[in-house]
Amino acid sequence: MNTVIVNLISWFIVFYGVALPVMIIFGVIRIAGFKEITRFEKGEGLLYRLNPLTKVALGVGVMVVASVTIWWIGALLTLGISLLYLTLRDGLRKFVYLMALVFSSLIISTWSVAPYVPTSILSLVFPNPSSYHVIWTWPSYFSVMGYQSNLTEEALIYGIQIGFRVTAVLASSLLLALTTTTSDIFRMFTKLKVPLSLTFTLLVGVKTVPRIFELLDSSVKMQFIRRFGEKPAPLRPIFFIYGGILGIVPTMIYLLRGAKTMAISADTRGFRASPKRTEIRELSFGREDYVILLVVVGLLILGVLANLLGFGRFIPYVGS
Amino acid sequence: MGFNGIEGAINEPGQIPWEIVVSYFVIALFLAFYLGKRMGGLKKFTTVDLIYIGIGGAFSVVWEFYVGSFLGRFLPSTSFVDIGFWGRLVIIFIIAALVRKVGVGMSTLFVFNLLSDMFHYGFGGEPMYFIYESLTYGLFVDLMIAVTGGHLFGIGRETASGGASTIRNVAILAGIQGGLLGFLWAIPDPIFYSAFISPFLYGGYVNWAHVMFHLVAFIPGDVIVGILGAILALRVVKAVGQ
Repeated sequence: MNTVIVNLISWFIVFYGVALPVMIIFGVIRIAGFKEITRFEKGEGLLYRLNPLTKVALGVGVMVVASVTIWWIGALLTLGISLLYLTLRDGLRKFVYLMALVFSSLIISTWSVAPYVPTSILSLVFPNPSSYHVIWTWPSYFSVMGYQSNLTEEALIYGIQIGFRVTAVLASSLLLALTTTTSDIFRMFTKLKVPLSLTFTLLVGVKTVPRIFELLDSSVKMQFIRRFGEKPAPLRPIFFIYGGILGIVPTMIYLLRGAKTMAISADTRGFRASPKRTEIRELSFGREDYVILLVVVGLLILGVLANLLGFGRFIPYVGS
Repeated sequence: MGFNGIEGAINEPGQIPWEIVVSYFVIALFLAFYLGKRMGGLKKFTTVDLIYIGIGGAFSVVWEFYVGSFLGRFLPSTSFVDIGFWGRLVIIFIIAALVRKVGVGMSTLFVFNLLSDMFHYGFGGEPMYFIYESLTYGLFVDLMIAVTGGHLFGIGRETASGGASTIRNVAILAGIQGGLLGFLWAIPDPIFYSAFISPFLYGGYVNWAHVMFHLVAFIPGDVIVGILGAILALRVVKAVGQ
């Protein structure tokens, strides 16, 4: 093939892996979207009624199964969990945000592994290197960036395997923060006998994550209002990212300043006045919780069965 | 083969002997608390300290998983640059400078770990990561607080005279401490993770050439970001009005 065309296609693939996920993040989700998929909002669906411990169990179950099975089981799990988002308040919007996040995470994970994985590692999963299917041959100078000379179908499967493992866990772990009130998370940790001060600190963190996105969003908007991004349209995304970076330190200072007010209000309510808390409402397990727990057990059995039937994971157990 | 490949393997070829690792944890923890008690850096956390730690944990999560991981995609994949890690370093330095009590480093990283499990990882590989992150990165910060008697980056000492030269001296002192901490932060990943935890958890093989290369690659960036982080921490502490 003509070298110019080879170069063009190669660089297109590289930018596809690098820029597309970022464009999706900034085009579809935007900072405000992150706020929405990390924050609790009151709702009616099944997930809101579950005990938080059940949701943690579901998350752990999904993680275990996704990490020990073949990529398409991870993909099915990702899809299944994502469909649960439709039962949330503003479910469709949250589902779209999640899909954008899942898709970009998948591309990021796949493309940060597949071009780099050496045959020595790949051969632990696909034993016969001579039978690999070469999809694309990079120009020789790509080796400077750590690229293997050929991109094979096997390397791509290997990358996708890691990608779906990440997305299944990501989708299920966000569910807890989305559907559980801060007080219920507090109750859960109290039940688990986690020390009061640690629980408190952790919940400040849980509350702060969506707040950071909210403040960053306002910060970027304010900068644009003040004619910061008044540049030709194609340059605007760059200024958007730059504006976000500029907003980080002020956001941090704003939140840290607010810490004193929060501390005073906690102290005036008698926080840590006595070592134990008394509960007005106890967390309980209902019928729905048992159903979900059964599903979790089913998932674990599925994980074992998949391994017995030869659908175990494609990632070798090596570290470096 | 255990779950997730976690094996608990020790005495693998090339692996750091577990006795050394355990004695590091014991001695470093003891030193942090002993020095903290002697020099005055060991105090009980107030409510506002707990809130600072929570905010620091949340910021680290947002940076490492949502901001840094995307920004890092624009840079070539090399061991010399790690946007996500650097952001976390700066954030932890800022929180440590605000609280300045022994234990803040360990608690902030502990909370960071718990939050990243809740928002991203889903409790895989725990509790090893709590031990690894808190008792290496966090403990280094706490040791520095203990050694400086609760005056991390010279904060709290400058009030004596307060002239322009004192402010410059404080900034230089902060830079030196930050650079030293940055140097220390470059060590755990190659040495601890690659040469102990990775074989311990996943049965990974130890390649000392790989370990040494990464150590050398991490040091320059981490030292520079450490210096910048300490100076930024000084500014943030002033702006927050401590």
